[in-house]
Amino acid sequence: MPLSSVLVVEDDPDLLALLDMVLAGAGYRVRTAAHGAEALERVLEEMPGVILLDMRMPIMNGWEFARELQARYDHPCPIVVLTAAENADQRAAEIGAEGWLSKPFDIDDVLASVARQLAARAGGAPVAPPGA
Amino acid sequence: MGRRRPWSPGRIVAVYVVLSLAWAGLTGLLVQRLFGDPRYQELVRTANRAAFVVLSSLLLYALIRRSESEVRRFGAELRSAFDNMADGLLLVDSEMRVVDANRAAVELLGTASKKDLLGPIEDWAKRFALRYPDASPVPFERYATRRALAGEAVVPYEGIMRRADGRELFVSISAAPLAGMGLAVTVIRDISAARRLEEVRDEFLATAAHELKTPLAVIKAYAQLVERRAPADAQPLAAIERQVDRLDRLVQHLLDTSRLHLEGEARRERLDLGVLAREVVDRARRGAPRHTFTVEAPAPVMVSVDRARLARVVAGLLDNSVRFSPAGGPVAVRVEVDTGEAVLSVTDHGVGIPREQQARVFERYYHAHGGGADDSAGIGLTLEVSRAIVERHGGRMTFESVAGQGSTFFVHLPLAAGA
Repeated sequence: MPLSSVLVVEDDPDLLALLDMVLAGAGYRVRTAAHGAEALERVLEEMPGVILLDMRMPIMNGWEFARELQARYDHPCPIVVLTAAENADQRAAEIGAEGWLSKPFDIDDVLASVARQLAARAGGAPVAPPGA
Repeated sequence: MGRRRPWSPGRIVAVYVVLSLAWAGLTGLLVQRLFGDPRYQELVRTANRAAFVVLSSLLLYALIRRSESEVRRFGAELRSAFDNMADGLLLVDSEMRVVDANRAAVELLGTASKKDLLGPIEDWAKRFALRYPDASPVPFERYATRRALAGEAVVPYEGIMRRADGRELFVSISAAPLAGMGLAVTVIRDISAARRLEEVRDEFLATAAHELKTPLAVIKAYAQLVERRAPADAQPLAAIERQVDRLDRLVQHLLDTSRLHLEGEARRERLDLGVLAREVVDRARRGAPRHTFTVEAPAPVMVSVDRARLARVVAGLLDNSVRFSPAGGPVAVRVEVDTGEAVLSVTDHGVGIPREQQARVFERYYHAHGGGADDSAGIGLTLEVSRAIVERHGGRMTFESVAGQGSTFFVHLPLAAGA
């Protein structure tokens, strides 16, 4: 379970490509999925260090994905919710996510949030992405 | 069609007096003329008196009967009007007992008959689970009927009731006293259909706002990405970001417009209004190079507020100041405690608001300065929503403005407990 790996789950291809670029640019190993079911496949291949999760998606939405992940792996890694909903913190609380980013977000906030979640997993020590 | 009204007692007596006097006068004259013999005269007078009693009794009987049937008809008409009103009506006596109810009330509440609705109004409200839209119970002293009987003017309030069949009903309730009778009439109007329409509209707006935000997020993030890669293009990209933020704020305002009145208690956190103002001003500063922003907050001013919403209120005021001082210039923000409340003010030296337009500034969709060639476009949503947000915090918004010299908008908020 590499701590520098990020799984981005987002149905908008432009946003997905952007997050991929930004996070890869910061040195993280990024894998992507367009919906919850695809994300479960990525998780099966390898457990990521943190998951960025959109809530409203076709096929399997964020709520269903989070429930399934919990059922199969019992909270294996932190989740940061990406949402356009007004009460982002409530959406995050609903699925037991560790963080949230309200759309539209700042790129810096995305990077800071990912770094914070990975640092918390590493036991408080900041985790520098390998390429940084 | 003309309708006969029942005769008043005075009118009946007057008709009786006129007819009696005419009878007495005419018959007296006739007896004198026709009968010369005094013996006959006496006899005829006695017969005449008897005939008078009989005829006047018949007349009185006819008049009273006519009057009574009119009163009965009048009552039946009132009853029919009461029963056929589209709104549910309850007649309540001074001891707060329902003494009568119309057909609409029976149908509205789904009871078997009118009898089921009669009795103390407190039991009645319990039985139909009367509560406010946020599900809190309506306290007895706030009952429309009680306030009407106490002589208070009652503004209709909205509530939820549970019909006898368990179905929930959105209602508007008001009451009015019946002058001099010690009774009040309570009006229950079914507003479920209108309410459902509102819910559909809110759902639509929420979905639309959500759908709008994803493309905004994509545009903003790409602008930031390009800005990082090509710092030379920072200025135009920063403009794109600013406009995205502004669109985002408008979307939020649209949501707030439809939603504020439906929400229960707003989410609150304790914060320093001065710190919040500085954060918002820092963001606004980047978007208005021709304006000089200053924030004066000499001491912490603690308030308990919905942070995101209040930040939008302040951002909206700054936005307006910038737009209505197109030549640039100073925009001063001041945060202080004044007569026991927190006051945030935003002052500009822009075009100001003409006196004749000042009364309408907070109206929804109204925009002062409308029509001018140098008018700054906008849908005027900001101020109306801002005021609604501030009022939900127990505060108020005011302004001072002189055309050609600029405006100051004030946000007054209660201080946080223990501040």
